[in-house]
Amino acid sequence: MKFRMKDEFVGLTWVSPWIVGFLAFLLIPAGMSLYFSFTDYPLLESPVWVGLGNYKRLLSDEVFHKALVNTFIYAGAAIPLSVLLAVVLAALLNTKGLRWTRFFEAAIFMPTLAPLVASSMVWMWILNGRFGLLNQFLGLLHISGPNWLLREGWAMAALVIVALWGVGQAVILCVAALKEVPEQLYEAANLDGMGPVRQFINVTLPMISPVILFNTITMLIGAFQVFVVPYVLFQKDKGGPNKSGYFYTSYLYDNAFVYGQMGYASALAWVQLLIILLLTGLLFLASRRLVFYRGA
Amino acid sequence: MTRRAALGTLAAGSVGYALLGPRGAKEDTRGRLVLDYWEKWTGLEGKVMQEVVAEFNKSQDRLFVRYFATSGIDEKAQIAIAGGSPPDIVGVWNYSVPAFASANAILPLDDLGAPLGIKPEIYAEGMRQVVTFRGKMWATVNTGGCLALYYNRSHFKEVGLDPDSPPRTFPEFDDACRKLLIKKNGRIQRMGFHHREPGWWSFIWGSQFGGTLYDEKTNTSTAASPLNVRGYEWVQSTPKEYGLAEVNDFRTSFGNYDSALNAFVAGRLSMVVQGPWLANIIKLYNDKLDYGVAPFPVAEGMFDKNAPMGLIDTDTLVIPRGVKNPEASMEFVAYTQRQDVVERLSTVHCKGSPLAQSSESFRKNHPNRGIAVFEAIARSPRSYKVPATRCWAAMKDEMDRALDRVWNMQDSPASILGLAQKRSQAILDLTAEQERRRRGGAP
Amino acid sequence: MNREPSPPLTLRSATSLVTLLIASVLFLAPIVWMMATSWKPEAQAASETIRLFADPVADTPAAAKENYSAVWNDVTIRFPIYLRNTLIVALLSVVGMVLSSAVVAYGFARVQWRGRSALFTLVLATMMIPFPVLMTPLFVLFAKIGWIGTLRPLWVPAWFGAAFNIFLLRQFYMGIPRELDEAARIDGCSHWGIFWRIILPLSRPALAVVALFHFMYVWNDFLAPMVFVQHQDMFTLALGLQLYQSKAGNTPWNLLMAASTMVMAPVLLLFMATQRTFVKGLTGGASKE
Repeated sequence: MKFRMKDEFVGLTWVSPWIVGFLAFLLIPAGMSLYFSFTDYPLLESPVWVGLGNYKRLLSDEVFHKALVNTFIYAGAAIPLSVLLAVVLAALLNTKGLRWTRFFEAAIFMPTLAPLVASSMVWMWILNGRFGLLNQFLGLLHISGPNWLLREGWAMAALVIVALWGVGQAVILCVAALKEVPEQLYEAANLDGMGPVRQFINVTLPMISPVILFNTITMLIGAFQVFVVPYVLFQKDKGGPNKSGYFYTSYLYDNAFVYGQMGYASALAWVQLLIILLLTGLLFLASRRLVFYRGA
Repeated sequence: MTRRAALGTLAAGSVGYALLGPRGAKEDTRGRLVLDYWEKWTGLEGKVMQEVVAEFNKSQDRLFVRYFATSGIDEKAQIAIAGGSPPDIVGVWNYSVPAFASANAILPLDDLGAPLGIKPEIYAEGMRQVVTFRGKMWATVNTGGCLALYYNRSHFKEVGLDPDSPPRTFPEFDDACRKLLIKKNGRIQRMGFHHREPGWWSFIWGSQFGGTLYDEKTNTSTAASPLNVRGYEWVQSTPKEYGLAEVNDFRTSFGNYDSALNAFVAGRLSMVVQGPWLANIIKLYNDKLDYGVAPFPVAEGMFDKNAPMGLIDTDTLVIPRGVKNPEASMEFVAYTQRQDVVERLSTVHCKGSPLAQSSESFRKNHPNRGIAVFEAIARSPRSYKVPATRCWAAMKDEMDRALDRVWNMQDSPASILGLAQKRSQAILDLTAEQERRRRGGAP
Repeated sequence: MNREPSPPLTLRSATSLVTLLIASVLFLAPIVWMMATSWKPEAQAASETIRLFADPVADTPAAAKENYSAVWNDVTIRFPIYLRNTLIVALLSVVGMVLSSAVVAYGFARVQWRGRSALFTLVLATMMIPFPVLMTPLFVLFAKIGWIGTLRPLWVPAWFGAAFNIFLLRQFYMGIPRELDEAARIDGCSHWGIFWRIILPLSRPALAVVALFHFMYVWNDFLAPMVFVQHQDMFTLALGLQLYQSKAGNTPWNLLMAASTMVMAPVLLLFMATQRTFVKGLTGGASKE
């Protein structure tokens, strides 16, 4: 195929709104924040160059390590469970001959429509050790529920539960992908004598693997930025029992706006970006074998 | 199609509301200099401040003050000053004043205030500590906030304690707590006192034993001093005695502070350490509650009737750097410091007056039964404030964490505070280094 | 619309049905609980028994009326103004987002040019940049150009497209048969003509999805308003809700839940009214109907 200068011009014209926005609202601020990350910048005063000082400080900062470990634990628990739950729910929704599909889809999607501040408050209430809906419900089953928000291990479990509750968008994307799997593939599988489980593993999963990858990546980005839910749930004890509900973005926000350490906060932000890029890169590499692109 | 019609109506309604809906008040400022004033107060407290603002606007014809309530006032003010578009007056909490002052983010008021009669000497002794920092005056105080003990007189009577002589030292206090405890089927139904309700002041316990957290002269953290350790050992004695799981389970039964389910208002706790504003909550949600107010207990042998101890925790007004007209801002600030205005605000807030003098009628008609106690603490030489350093916010987070660990019995108070001191010192050193880098001088 | 008769239930679909019923109850419970608390008097908001209505049930409407009007008429936290601000921001940014993303996606899907796929990779990569990286510099920039104190920081950026939506629309466009373009080109249509007369009308479901997703995103966004908005007169609903929740000493539970329900209701209704478009718009252009 041959290209002409004119084509570049036409193409760039079409995408120019994005380019302008990219420069103004992304590249310039990102550049500024990269510069800040090499400075000592108490928000209220001007930045002073300190080279790698902030990055060095990260190495010995225990709170940072705690927040980082918490974030990894959270991501490690919430992402696989959410991805799995999304696929399972989507598969159930895609069952042939199912009734009330629209109601189920709505029920599962609705949680994502609630403002996070509001739903976090509801959860704070539901997870209350004494009056909470969850423990009352467990009580009906004669299980004595834990004091979710005041016990170190349970606080993290509580956050994962809240994350699973918000799986709706991933489910809808999976459902859409499932609808696109050609019927002939299942017919062929039937002829080969595959049972429903093997059909699911050999036909369905490969066909929707791009969406699973997409879900995993968006959840990864989201997990590393988790902020509002723990902010509301643990605001009384700031960070929850022994800081077990204190996350990467919480620490970033505190440094930037509470402690007034903008330079350090910018370094935190850039390390966050690098972690996300690295993990996404690894995901892509790992998925080469696992993800099946149609038409490729 | 009805669904489409419904959507159309919804869209049209939205556009209509967006175009014609209510806006923020558009005052007629008629060529006056407009001053923006940011505050934290909403509700009742916000309303009376808005009235004061309106009266100021009426009292003269050159300035027009606009009142805005916002959440996270300290952070918002910081961002706005850094971004170069500060409000003309801002009501921050007193603990933030050193942070703003040491960054020169607010204006010293000595020269601005003197012609209008605003100087540290007009305030009660405790309040004087929080308006000054490194030898200059940076803030004014509208309403006097400090902490004391509220106790439920009916509960006292019920268990045979004398409601007219509340506990003065910790041994007396602990005894009272034991008597006030009610347990049913192994679950706590009522406690004398719970250190984590509402949990706003994680750092005061050592102070009541005579400890301090910070030495301003040498810029060192003293969090692990023996007196502080005694304070936190006392804190830990509660979960030890009553059972950690039990006291934590009981804590989840406390409702939100500003509600009828407030643990003290609802009678779940017989005693609580609180500011004067609690009287408003009591009046609003449980007017019949028979409460008394006394200084919070101190270590044995430290009691002094004439010098009660308590934390000064109050609201302040500051003027950010970069404002249009500092004199104009000061004029409004000075208006809010008139004795009649201060007393009116303090009455509605249920607080004592922050000024050195308060009027007879103010004290007599005050809605808070504890007014005398609160004013005595504000005037006491043994009232204390949070460490005056710009990195207090970070140090406080260390203390919050230390309290959480002490309470959950994760280690001995001495080693927990030892760690907190080490980390606080690291924060202080870092801050000192930043100041040196900028100004070359000693912190 | 003609309704298909319900297919017969098999063992498999019956199992799915029951599982999904249980799942739906779990997913809906928090929302139902939010609403249930919003129509109880305060004293009943915390109790050791589960109840959906006030006790006695007949008190429910009165309690609901009291709670909701207390929230709506609060003198210092003024939800009517926040509603207006939110609508202004939402409408302006949805229009901008749909228009700009539709145009940009066309450039990536239908115009052949060198560097296209490299640039598209860059678009996708921007999705990974966490907002906290940008939040302060953006504040400094907005302050420099005088936008702080206005609603502009909340809606102007939407007029330059967003990676997720561009991606979504490009996928959809790629499913529209190319033969349609070719035919139009032979008729003398320019790119703009193809875009306007063929692509846009055919991608209506996808555009609706973008609009809905973005509307919901803006409606609930909390971090951007928290950083960029200063005056209470400019607050959005999500921010007002946070102010209501965090105001000195907090707020009674029943009122918080009433406020939450009020903020959530419009998006819920919008979703229910447009639900069918959702799945349709997310599946590629080729395989619908």
